[in-house]
Amino acid sequence: MIELYAITSHPGPPLPDVAPLREIERDRLSAVIAHIDEEPVATADRLWHHERVVEALMQSRNLLPVRYGTCLPDEDAVAGALDRRREELITALEFVRGAVEVSVRVFGQGSEDQRDASDRNRSGADYLREKARRGHERARAVSAVHEPLRALARADAERPATLDRELLRSAFLVDRPRVATFSRLVAALQASHPGLQLLCTGPWPPYSFAQR
Amino acid sequence: MTDKLLHRPPDPDLLAGSLPSIDPVLSRRVNADPENLERGLAQLVLTLVELLRQLMERQALRRIDDGTLSEDQIERLGRTFMLLAERMEELRHEFGLDEEDLNLNLGPLGNLL
Repeated sequence: MIELYAITSHPGPPLPDVAPLREIERDRLSAVIAHIDEEPVATADRLWHHERVVEALMQSRNLLPVRYGTCLPDEDAVAGALDRRREELITALEFVRGAVEVSVRVFGQGSEDQRDASDRNRSGADYLREKARRGHERARAVSAVHEPLRALARADAERPATLDRELLRSAFLVDRPRVATFSRLVAALQASHPGLQLLCTGPWPPYSFAQR
Repeated sequence: MTDKLLHRPPDPDLLAGSLPSIDPVLSRRVNADPENLERGLAQLVLTLVELLRQLMERQALRRIDDGTLSEDQIERLGRTFMLLAERMEELRHEFGLDEEDLNLNLGPLGNLL
């Protein structure tokens, strides 16, 4: 069985020495793969290994990262997949060329209402008003943080916030040389919005922008 | 992972948890292989129910903002949404699904929710 790591342009630089990797080339595209004995399981170690391989590849080439756990039966199937989605993959690679993903999370102050959602004594009106308050807080975070950062990015995406106090989770596709400017703007936005907490991580492979 | 930190929030507690997370690596698809069919189907159905629940909730919030609902109506609507949210959480637990599992990647259209 074959595990996929990334789709990249061919020809490219030599493969990094982080795992027994192989390249399957079709015309101007290549898939970076590894032969594996059994279907991958989602453990934190395996996920980080996958991430390390993709990031090592990212150092020297433009790529479309493949999500962990994507497998195909054999090399012919990989070649077939490259052939079938050729145009789409070339367009997608062109879109992320020279850019990386930067993630920004925005946290608010949290609610003064200490009662949690499972409190059965809480009134329906309180529940809805708390939702409305969060909605407005989120909209303010979008215009205070997401909008200014978007001006420095090639593309942007919003993902659902899931953590407590988290108002916003955004992904930005940023040109490699612009990452430093981008993180300086994050620091400036933090300074001018003391009520918000900004967390910025990256550079990541362009996971949020690989499928378009 | 500190090499991935481009900006650290002033409140250090925020970094004590699961941040930065590895979630971008995890696939978010309906799992349709035969052994997991029941869970995959539950995931699909609950995703659709969750979508409808959120749409209705947003509609209610808009009407509160517009001031077209009476106190009594707000209370009743809020109560209904609260119970729905609780029930959804119970069902998610029953099928071992996370909140993120109820969000489908629609390819070029982005995420469903």
